[in-house]
Amino acid sequence: MFDHGQPSYAEVNKDILSVMLETGPRYWMLLGTTMSVAVIFFFMPWFYQLIVGVGAAGMNRNAYWGTYLSNFIFWIGLSHSGTLLSAILHITNSPWRKSVYRSAEAMTLFSLMTAALFVMVHLGRVWFVHWSFPIPNQMGLWPNFRSPLMFDVMAITTYLTASSIFIYMGSVPDFAAVRDASTGTRRRLYTIFSFGWRGTAREWHTLGWAYTFFAVFVIPLAVSVHSIVSWDFALSIVPGLHHTIFAPYFVCGAIYSGTAGIVTVMYCLRKFLNFERYIGQVHLDNLGKLLLALSLIWSYINMLELFSSWYGGSSFELEALKFKLTGFYAPLYWEMILFCAFVPLLMFFRKFRWSWNKMLLISILINIGMLTERFIIVATSQPRKFLPNAFGFYFPSWIEISITIGSFAIFATLFLIFIKWVPAISIYEVKETLKPLRRDA
Amino acid sequence: MKWGSDLSTLVEKFRQYLKPGYYDEFDYHWTMTIDLDRCTGCEACVVACQAENNLPIVGEKRYARNREIKWIRIERYWEGEYPDVKMGFIPMLCQHCDDAPCEIACPVFATYHNQDGLNTQIYNRCIGTRTCAVYCPYEVRYFNWFTYTWDEPLEQQLNPDVTVREKGVMEKCTFCIQRIRLAKDNAKDDDRRRVRDGEVVPACVQSCPTEAMAFGDSNDPEAKVSKMMKDPRAYTVLEELNTTPSIVYLKKAHAES
Amino acid sequence: MSKISRRDLLQYIGAGGIGAVGGVLYSESIERDVELIIPQVVPPEDYSPGIATWYNTVCNQCSAGCGISVRIREGKAKKIEGNPVHPVSQGRLCARGQSGLNVLYNPDRIREPLTNAGQRGTGNFYPISWDEVLTTIASRIGRLKIENNASRVRLLTGRVRGHLDELFAQFMGLLGSDHYQQYDFTYPSALKAANKISFGIDQLPYYDIKNADLLLSFGADYLGTWISPVHHSLAYGHMRQGRAGRRGKTVQVEPRMSLSGAAADEWVAARPGTEGLLALGIAHILVSDGHYNGSDRDQWSDVLQAYSPSAVSAETDISEGNIRQLAREFGTSKAALAIAGGATTAGTNAVASAVAVNALNHLAGNLGQPGGIIFNSDQAFSATPGTRQAGMQGILDLVEAMEAGEVDVLLVHDSNPIFSLPDGVGFRQALDKVPLIVALSSFRDETTEQADLILPTNTYLESWGDDVPDPGVGFPVASISQPVVTTLYDTLPVGDIILSLARQIGGELPMAMPWRTMEEFVKERWREEYAMRESGGADQDFEAFWQAALEAGVWGQPGVMTGDQIVPSSSSTIAAITNPASQFAGSETDYPLVLHPYLSASLLDGRGANLPWLQELPDPLTSVVYGSWAELNPATAEDLGIREGDVLEVETPAGSVKVPALIFPALRPGVVAMPIGQGHTSYGRYARNRGANPMDLVSMQIDDRSGDLAWAATRARVRNTGERLQIIKTDGITRTLGRQILGPENDHA
Repeated sequence: MFDHGQPSYAEVNKDILSVMLETGPRYWMLLGTTMSVAVIFFFMPWFYQLIVGVGAAGMNRNAYWGTYLSNFIFWIGLSHSGTLLSAILHITNSPWRKSVYRSAEAMTLFSLMTAALFVMVHLGRVWFVHWSFPIPNQMGLWPNFRSPLMFDVMAITTYLTASSIFIYMGSVPDFAAVRDASTGTRRRLYTIFSFGWRGTAREWHTLGWAYTFFAVFVIPLAVSVHSIVSWDFALSIVPGLHHTIFAPYFVCGAIYSGTAGIVTVMYCLRKFLNFERYIGQVHLDNLGKLLLALSLIWSYINMLELFSSWYGGSSFELEALKFKLTGFYAPLYWEMILFCAFVPLLMFFRKFRWSWNKMLLISILINIGMLTERFIIVATSQPRKFLPNAFGFYFPSWIEISITIGSFAIFATLFLIFIKWVPAISIYEVKETLKPLRRDA
Repeated sequence: MKWGSDLSTLVEKFRQYLKPGYYDEFDYHWTMTIDLDRCTGCEACVVACQAENNLPIVGEKRYARNREIKWIRIERYWEGEYPDVKMGFIPMLCQHCDDAPCEIACPVFATYHNQDGLNTQIYNRCIGTRTCAVYCPYEVRYFNWFTYTWDEPLEQQLNPDVTVREKGVMEKCTFCIQRIRLAKDNAKDDDRRRVRDGEVVPACVQSCPTEAMAFGDSNDPEAKVSKMMKDPRAYTVLEELNTTPSIVYLKKAHAES
Repeated sequence: MSKISRRDLLQYIGAGGIGAVGGVLYSESIERDVELIIPQVVPPEDYSPGIATWYNTVCNQCSAGCGISVRIREGKAKKIEGNPVHPVSQGRLCARGQSGLNVLYNPDRIREPLTNAGQRGTGNFYPISWDEVLTTIASRIGRLKIENNASRVRLLTGRVRGHLDELFAQFMGLLGSDHYQQYDFTYPSALKAANKISFGIDQLPYYDIKNADLLLSFGADYLGTWISPVHHSLAYGHMRQGRAGRRGKTVQVEPRMSLSGAAADEWVAARPGTEGLLALGIAHILVSDGHYNGSDRDQWSDVLQAYSPSAVSAETDISEGNIRQLAREFGTSKAALAIAGGATTAGTNAVASAVAVNALNHLAGNLGQPGGIIFNSDQAFSATPGTRQAGMQGILDLVEAMEAGEVDVLLVHDSNPIFSLPDGVGFRQALDKVPLIVALSSFRDETTEQADLILPTNTYLESWGDDVPDPGVGFPVASISQPVVTTLYDTLPVGDIILSLARQIGGELPMAMPWRTMEEFVKERWREEYAMRESGGADQDFEAFWQAALEAGVWGQPGVMTGDQIVPSSSSTIAAITNPASQFAGSETDYPLVLHPYLSASLLDGRGANLPWLQELPDPLTSVVYGSWAELNPATAEDLGIREGDVLEVETPAGSVKVPALIFPALRPGVVAMPIGQGHTSYGRYARNRGANPMDLVSMQIDDRSGDLAWAATRARVRNTGERLQIIKTDGITRTLGRQILGPENDHA
């Protein structure tokens, strides 16, 4: 479990809390950079778009949905990382999840927030977005719950709420640890945050029970959230989108993408926060095996999709399929297959699974492939609907590309803020993995 | 007893809710027929609609990015190769489907089926998710990507009976609902209860030089559209999608040799 | 960063606060215009807000003369519809007619009189008052009149009919100048010349498409641009599906499928320039196979002898079987009608081709019959319906006169010869020799840009006038044109300008033309007409009649005529049958393709290019907007290695232009087709510097029998420049891909 020998309890606290309590200029520079990138690449173009209209982006009458929506789905997908690691692996009692799950849950939360931002960017009149919530109003109007987008609104709000509570609740003992290790304002703040945690057996028991409850609750939630998001597409009758496989496809893709995201984040945490001791090869190995399994499932589902489109013989489906595989975006499609189906097969080999750099590369390629996959879904199905005269073409504009880049910066900013406010590795759970000290040592 | 009757009311309401369009019967069922044997593709209907409904002048740059807004457009299809090549025209506008894919899509009910069988678009409710446009198989919905302006004094021509849309709002053919409303108001004032056949004429139907289009209430068996619908050449576009459109086309006939 | 002390901080806050307060006070102190909460407490007198009124007038977007009804709300024109009681439009209207609102409210209208202050051709114009400009012109013309040199004053207009034509004629006549010409590119000169030969008539007859069973059109785009598209479309619709159990068939003979060709049951792509020959070939078979049994059968047989199916087939490149089938159908049809127009009547053999088509009508026996050619009775007014078309010869004479310095004052109204005519005419250069050019125009088109004085005219929606449609509708009809809105800018109706000039010039003019306004003049003339027809009609009766005519927008006498059609004999037609081959400019080796310009269905001859709705309207057959293009058959394009979007240099003996290529399946190989209408260098923001003008490519070929320009008689070659240009189209894929969009497939032939 631990690469460099087992730390003591005090060392665990010190290592993990030092990230929070000591801040050097490098952090500020990094934070400043990500914030600037976020502002320049995301917020400024967005404000421009708010003033000028959604037409500043590249969507047109052939493709009303563009990268904003495909990025939204990508970020929702990325958010399944926490769910998987935290919840599923908690239920199955995997020991190696303990050092990585907090950051994974944080990833979930921030991915969801970024995704929600994309919804705002996508809307034509975002100042009325509150109309999609069932808030009693003087117009006497209620939203349309038969709309898949309303399912989205409900599901994502629930997921966001549940994930926030989940991560907060799991962090309470660690907030207590911060409180105990700090002074002054910080101490007062964390006293409030930790709800006066004393670490009694009763409190531990309640926490364990509550945590398990949420873990069990969050798993079906995660599955349903991404299924619901996939139904934005699948409930249309657009050829290429109207497939029943979409729900499993998206859920699988989400978990896949999320897990790859965890690998990337782990690498960064390890490198920049000196957590080599707590995140070791065994974590990498297990994540690698998980990724491999998911990639095989993903490839299978892809093949199923292609097969059923072809087998059905519907002119509409075949035309969409033809455009996907051989049209303008064919290079992107094949790039996606390469990165998501073939490259991960390298993880059959131990050499790849145990190398940090190789895994980083693979995980980034997987996520690029998944980002491409969402884009392909959006860009190759809409321009090939039913009336051939209305076929067209969609190409993202500079604003969309900029906003995509900016969204990663927003995520990074949120994460950077997170590591200063919440212990990035769960202190108490790591301690659970340590062999108990011998009383006489 | 009370529980039973309350429950049956609820069940009744729920069944009503499930029905597409939410209505058992339509009051009027506005239908349009387009005879493709008469249509010559001259596009008089396109300009008439632009004039009547305050459609924006989109401009060359935006046309180049496929952002035109023409509620009715003529679709062209070639058949065959030179020298046996033929062209077919079909005007394509909102079909006002009774089972519209777009109506379930809108999260805020900005588009819904009204009691006259029209698929209506409520501009000031639209928040611009554009889901309806993605779901529409006929691709007859258009989005205001910008707030369009008219070079002064072209805005003097704008029809005061029709909203001018701002950016972020979806729009599409309304069967000239302003004219339908006017006709219904006139009928009410006149102490007549029903609008007579031929009283409501959308701009496109009115302008068509070959009289290819007809518009009326298909609930009225004597209306011109009801008779046209019985023609053996009648069909609906993309029938297999089961959208039950309210526009019936009459296939182009062929010359007997 | 150094620490800020508390004192500094307080100072900063204080300064900022004072600044903010100062800013607020300043902005509040700026006086704003008082906003009227209730702007119409005193309601205007001429309209009721919220209530629409309808005024009937005449459309001026082409020369058909459709009656229109304009919806007015709060004094503004909102919508143009066809006038339901007008016999030409019958409540319907075409795309160009609907765009008339863009003419009225066009941002580039000339709003006040302008002078170029001696800087002709620079495009700089300066405002000038009406008084000054009218005085200047009147004095110039007046002086010439006194010197008996009034023939040095020339008037060139577009196609003008009705009493405005009479006004112009009277004005010029009283001056002592007989140089009043009209030039309209769309004027059917060859057709009129042929009809004059065959039937001895000056006006166009009524082509009764409505009741025809077989319509054989040689190049005439009757649904799009030929003569009276709205009326023909009405007739077409009726012919197709308006008669129970009877569906008319249409055949279109042209090298490039036009709108009418797309609607036709059969499209016949004969070799360019040989359509007339094809007509004669059909005529030959009609006689030889016994479909025609008139008494003059032998004379027909003699004159048509040379046009055997095999000979004709070789020349026209249409199979013998096809020709025979066409002839058989034409001969056995109960009501067959043949018409000619477009490129068929724009070659050097234009008149001969039109005469050949007239022959077909003779042989079909449809003269004076329903479904055939019906001769219009005398027009409602004694003023002839516009036979003043100068034609190319007339324009060349004018150019010659200008070059020779014989023209002192040139008045131009509603005509744009610099744009519509090939550069070879030399119109632009000849203008340099004219000391005073006066343009009476609403827009700064190319010809107006050369003027010294621009007198802005009211658009047709702001003008009084009247019209007699040509072709007529089979019975006497006269339409009234009335203003539907008050004049928007400091402009005058053109009739009023002429009347003012007449007043200022003095002499016998003001006495002979005493009316103060066009309205007065028109009403006076109608009063005279009324008195003539209702002999002894009292004035009150006329007033009632006038009000009724204004309300209806049109007056007609249905029921007068059709009965007594005098069928002309065929001898003139027989005597006139010839088959000259069309002479193309450029040799076949140097210029392997034939240039086929065609009138754009939306922009017509270029007059619609300044209207945004028409620029935005996808071309009916190609869906292109905001540009121009050159069409090539797919095989021709492949041979030349050209893809769609490649910029081509199209070169003819007359010039060259650069346009992107478009692949068009329904075009004969060996032909390059280009729409007319774009390529303006002036004419407003929507038209300027957009596309190319194919008239720049047309060589100076003249049909000597009609005297007009043969614009379809030029050969061309294309060269791929290697550049690419996006053609803006709205079409995606123009094949149905088996999706049964145009109807369920069945087992039709």
